[in-house]
Parts: sequence; C-alpha cells; structure tokens
Amino acid sequence: MLFTWLMLVGFIFLFAPQKLANNFQSTFARIFYWPLSIGRRLSTSVREKQLPTDVVARSKYNQLQNHLANVQEWLEQEREKVEKLSGLRDRPIWEGAKLMIADVASVSGSSTEIILNRGEDDGLREGQFVLGEESIIGAVSVVSSRTARVKLITDSTSKIPVKIAEFDVIRVMQGDGKDSAKIELLPSRKYNVKVGDDVLVCKMPGFLNSAMITARVAECRRNDENPSVWDITVKAVCNIERLDEVVVIIIDDED
Amino acid sequence: MRWFRFSLFVIAVTLIQAGLVDIVSLVNVRPDFLLILLVFFAIYCDTTEAIISSFAIGFAADVIGSAMGPQMISFGLFGTLLAYLHRFIAIREMPYQSLAIVLTGLLAGGLAFFLTYLRSQPTPPNMFTVLLGTSLYSAIIGPFLFLPSAWLMRIKTHPFVGS
Repeated sequence: MLFTWLMLVGFIFLFAPQKLANNFQSTFARIFYWPLSIGRRLSTSVREKQLPTDVVARSKYNQLQNHLANVQEWLEQEREKVEKLSGLRDRPIWEGAKLMIADVASVSGSSTEIILNRGEDDGLREGQFVLGEESIIGAVSVVSSRTARVKLITDSTSKIPVKIAEFDVIRVMQGDGKDSAKIELLPSRKYNVKVGDDVLVCKMPGFLNSAMITARVAECRRNDENPSVWDITVKAVCNIERLDEVVVIIIDDED
Repeated sequence: MRWFRFSLFVIAVTLIQAGLVDIVSLVNVRPDFLLILLVFFAIYCDTTEAIISSFAIGFAADVIGSAMGPQMISFGLFGTLLAYLHRFIAIREMPYQSLAIVLTGLLAGGLAFFLTYLRSQPTPPNMFTVLLGTSLYSAIIGPFLFLPSAWLMRIKTHPFVGS
C-alpha cells in the first residue's frame, strides 16, 4: 500500500507541469546555493590544476580570443555601416542593454543546462542571451522569482539562428545534447566553410544588439545523403564546464 | 530508522552529487552516490524503511536532475524490489553488493532515461555508455562506502555479531 502511494506521488511529479517541477529544483538550488557554489568552485579549481601545460590560464586565453573575435565582428559591422550610412550616427553596441552578472548555482544532470542565482526579480526573462567569457553560451529558458534555468547551445532542444564567419547567410544551430552543436543545410558549393571558422549568433532585436561569437567550426563534412550541403559540427568557444559566473544580456524594453 | 539523521545524510550526499562529484570523475564517468545509498538502505534496512528511503533518495536525485519524477519512480521501484529480494537472498559479501549496485544502476537508470524521454526532456545521446560507466564506477566504490554510511546512520552491518 505504501509502495502504491509513493509510486502515485512519483507519477504526479512526472506528469506535473514543467514549471511546477522546476520550482523544486530552483528552490533546492536557492536554499543550498552556498554549498553548491563552493562545490563548483572546488571542482573547477581541481580541473584547472590538471592543466599544467597552460602558460596563462586557459579561461583567460579563451576570454581574450573571444573578445578579439567580437571586436573584429563589431568593427566589420561598424565599417559597413559607415560606408552605407555615412553621416548617420549609430548607438554603441551595449547602449540600452543591461549586463547582469550571475553565479552558476548548479549544472543539470545532462550538463546542457545551468541554473543561475538570478531570476525575475533581477529583470531576467525567457529568451535573454547568456554570456560566458564574452561569448554566447545559451539562453534563459525558465525563470522563477530568484533563479533562472539556462539552456546551453549544446542542449538538444536549443535552436539559435547563426551565421558562419564572413558568409552572409543565416542557418539554425542546434545542440546535439553532448558537448557540441550542428549546423546543417549550408550549400557546400557556394560556401567554403573551414574548421576554425567563427560562428556568430545573429542580431535579434530585443535580445541582442549585434552579432556575437558563440562557437567555432570543429568538423565540416559533406552530408552523406546530399553531398551538396555541409554537415557542420561546432564547439562552444567558451569552456562552459569551468564557468562559475556568467553575464545575462538584458535589453531595456523602454529603449 | 533515525529519519532526521537520514534526511541530513541524504541532503549531504545530494549536495556532494550535485557539486563535488566532478572531482572524482574519471574520463567523464562519475559515480552515483545516491545509487550507492539506495542499495545500502535496501540491503541494511527492513522492507518498509527501504521502500520509503528508496523513494526519498529518488526524489533527491530528481531535484538535481533534469526532470521531476523519473528517478523517484525508478529508484522507488528497484529499491523496493531489491529490499524484497534481500528477504530471500542476503547480500552481505562485497562482490554481491557490487553486483547489486551494477544491476540496480542499469535497471533504474534505464527506466529513468525512458521516463525522461517520455516527458520530452533532453537525455544524453550516449546514455548506454553513461549508464554503464556510472553503474560500474559506483559498484567499485560503493561497498567501501557502506561501512562509513552504516556508522553515520548507526546501522549494524552485522546484526548477529555480539547479539
């Protein structure tokens, strides 16, 4: 009898609305924020100690590389605008945007989602992009009053419009549920994609004022069924596992 | 069973599983301390206590997992089955305890992945590798953690000694 009742409770949880279920996880992350963050920092420091060949910290190096890629992209955009719209002034890249620093409270079991210690009370909304080491690592998927769940670009349900390097074509980047993402349906004849090319999240009004780097091409091969298109595998430019702090881009609605 | 002590113990292990388990990960394979705990209570407690503790540990695993419900159901089901099995077959030797952890890990993990998939939640594409790796790693270290767990919970691992 006891078994039946407990099983019933389990099934109620299973078929309960996702938001209700998320509340339990968010509450746990909020209550035990300190031990969880200490644990994450400890894990991160242990992992960093396992990289003795780094001359400078790998995270710092990645951050600078990503910063460089972003600046180059912004510079290119600005140059185009100056050429096309000479005489008109454009607002700076982050004008009207608020950058909210948030701590990573915990990582989901599948390592494709993270929970932040900021929520609706801090201005977070669904769909807002999240930066790690100055690159897009994902978007806010669920928000409660004081915590938020971020769906990383590697999550199998994450679909983000992106463009590759200098090619002026937009494609959808979808996570593979592991540690990378896929970009498909890019014609192989027209676009000479190379390993190492930057992948940038496209400008999205209300969420992102300018294209920003998110990943780099890790593998590029022709589709088995249709060799005229690429099957592109990309990897995040930021080592997400090491992050204990991220930045959420909050675009001011009134602006 | 000392339930207050049990609650604190499960919370502590859940925090370790959520925040510190990466420290002991080998080639991205992490042990499942909650699975070890599940088998421990199924082996060393009476059936009613084992049923309650199995569901409670499953609930804790859900709280740090990707969805609520799958682990509670799978841990509850297989923890209960193991507790009933233990009525007929005493699982006292370490190799048998390891075997119990592997089998429970594979079965409960498989069911949890299936239920997670039913809820349209993301599941790792290499789930069989993850499942096998986690179960084997847990089975290797599990029996060694039974003794400190028994001491913390004030449970006698050899009930006939000294009686």
